[in-house]
Amino acid sequence: MSVVPMTTTPIEIEPPVSLWRDAWHRLRRNRLAVFGLVIVVVLAFAAVFGPYLTPYDFLSQDLNSRNMAPSLSHLFGTDDLGRDVFSRVVYGTRTAFLVAIVVTFIAVLIGVTLGALAGFFGGWLDRIVMWLTDMTMSIPNLLLVVVINASLKSPITSWMESRYLATLNPVYRETIWVDFLLVFGSMALISWPPYARLVRAQVLSIRSRPYITAAQALGLTNRIILMRYVVPNALGPLIVAVSAGLGTAMVLESAFSFLGVGVNPPTPSWGNMISDGLRVWQHYPHLLAAPAAVLGLASVAFSFLGDGLNDALNPRGAK
Amino acid sequence: MMMANSIRQEPSAKTGERLLDVKGLTIEIETRNGPATIVDGIDLHVDKGETLGIVGESGCGKSLTMLSMMRLLPNKIKVTKGEANFAGRDLQKMSNSELRRVRGGEVGFIFQDPMTSLNPVMRIGQQLAEPLIYHRGMSKAEARKRAGELLKLVGIPGAEDRLDAYPHELSGGMRQRVMIAIGLACNPQLLIADEPTTALDVTIQAQIVDLVKDLRDKLGMSVVWITHDLALIAGLVDRINVLYAGTVVEDAPVDALFANPSHPYTQGLLASIPKLSDERSTRLSSIGGTPPEPGRRPKGCPFAPRCPLAEAICHDRVPTLEGLNHDGAHRVACFVAQRKLEAA
Repeated sequence: MSVVPMTTTPIEIEPPVSLWRDAWHRLRRNRLAVFGLVIVVVLAFAAVFGPYLTPYDFLSQDLNSRNMAPSLSHLFGTDDLGRDVFSRVVYGTRTAFLVAIVVTFIAVLIGVTLGALAGFFGGWLDRIVMWLTDMTMSIPNLLLVVVINASLKSPITSWMESRYLATLNPVYRETIWVDFLLVFGSMALISWPPYARLVRAQVLSIRSRPYITAAQALGLTNRIILMRYVVPNALGPLIVAVSAGLGTAMVLESAFSFLGVGVNPPTPSWGNMISDGLRVWQHYPHLLAAPAAVLGLASVAFSFLGDGLNDALNPRGAK
Repeated sequence: MMMANSIRQEPSAKTGERLLDVKGLTIEIETRNGPATIVDGIDLHVDKGETLGIVGESGCGKSLTMLSMMRLLPNKIKVTKGEANFAGRDLQKMSNSELRRVRGGEVGFIFQDPMTSLNPVMRIGQQLAEPLIYHRGMSKAEARKRAGELLKLVGIPGAEDRLDAYPHELSGGMRQRVMIAIGLACNPQLLIADEPTTALDVTIQAQIVDLVKDLRDKLGMSVVWITHDLALIAGLVDRINVLYAGTVVEDAPVDALFANPSHPYTQGLLASIPKLSDERSTRLSSIGGTPPEPGRRPKGCPFAPRCPLAEAICHDRVPTLEGLNHDGAHRVACFVAQRKLEAA
């Protein structure tokens, strides 16, 4: 009646090492990735707390100290209205992070849902999703944003202004979020296809793994199998894509703001600061250098972090 | 406790009541050239408390029959004819939600490859708890407690501490024990073991067979053990079905099969087992040829092209399973074997 014992010698039981802790150990050994991570953490800190810590308000003008070179009182100097460039760059970080996080979050949400459903259930659902993906990918994002700006933004903004004048309802007073909602909302709606494709490909390979059949043989529902067995196993490559995607979204936000179709002044964005700085760079190079350097640093940091995560989460692919 | 209800003596007591009854199950796969039959009208049954061994070479439809019976196969593979009754209900006609209650709740599975049949990103305690929460409505704490008991039941040392381990931290034998524990979690009436020892080394194989035998006797369930290794299961099963190209060619109590293998294919299988008493110089015996591909089944007996005893009738007509002895417990689908018996 006794159950056959595994072995006769007692076994040392070590504390379990989770996959994530394992990945963290590998990530820590990668210098570039750690550099990227540190920059990302510093920027994220600046985005959240920066505006409360900077010595000047990002909007307050001091016409007696215009276009000043960097100094101890103004780290990055001042611009043509005497505003502190450092404070504006820090606030620009908040703009960049806000846009990047919202855009990426919406895109990942749509992409993962559609990709997982398409990959798992296949058939006509898969065909429709893939058709939708191809169609969405064919829309050029710059063109879409310009079209939205030209067609939707000004009528909605002026409608809101007239509503405010008519009703004095504070809901209609601020129009800045219309920029965010329209421009970056539309950006989110067209940037999900890469995530959908990635997740679908992952799910297709995971779906045929024995542990999925085993889960089905346990009588678990498709919903549980998808959420607890399929998606967690597809997470590694997705995290890498999200890290790279955040960097891309930041650069896109700057690009749109640079072209005047993104965040509008006076709200600081690295893009519109670069655009302003470009006009006077021969005389005041710091006005261009400061936002451009931070944008470059952020973009590089996210891609180093993405590469490092890729190696840490897929150790077999690493050299 | 649930496992106390029926403690049986070996060999397992048969009650004669059908638990699983598969009748004329035909399974087809969609190919580019249209549907091809993989399993052709298979009949098999398992009584309550009985242990059935299903043997046959790779690709003969052993696992396929069991998996498709539980509707666990991809859409390309379909059951086109026949029925599979479990405890009186046809699994093919059940609604999905009914079927989910049977899977895991009443029929437990153990799969071939313990290395890949566990979710790599979930702690084993959670994987064990999943069916308990879903089928038995246990709370997380109750399920965790029960998971610890199950790990102890399958002989994993330091069971409670192992609950928080990930599958990659366990050895192959340990993982197969975890798989068995998951299969048994809800105390199923039927355990289907699909070549559970193929991926393990020989000493662990014997441990796993003994473990299942032991648990079967403790828990009083029926077992279907799929394998290609006749010798391994000789001490475990009550009855053996030999499968060839998706049909049962011989069905016999285990002793009768070893004493009097009647189908030429069974004889070939038994002859292929190397014996220690063989001369070193003797070549290993094998059956010449390969099984027919799906979609290219011969007109007559599927084994006829490889059969040393084949006659004209074998290439022309398909033999059916006929009883060889007075009570029909030993049945064979072979014209030559059946005629020999009549002549005797």
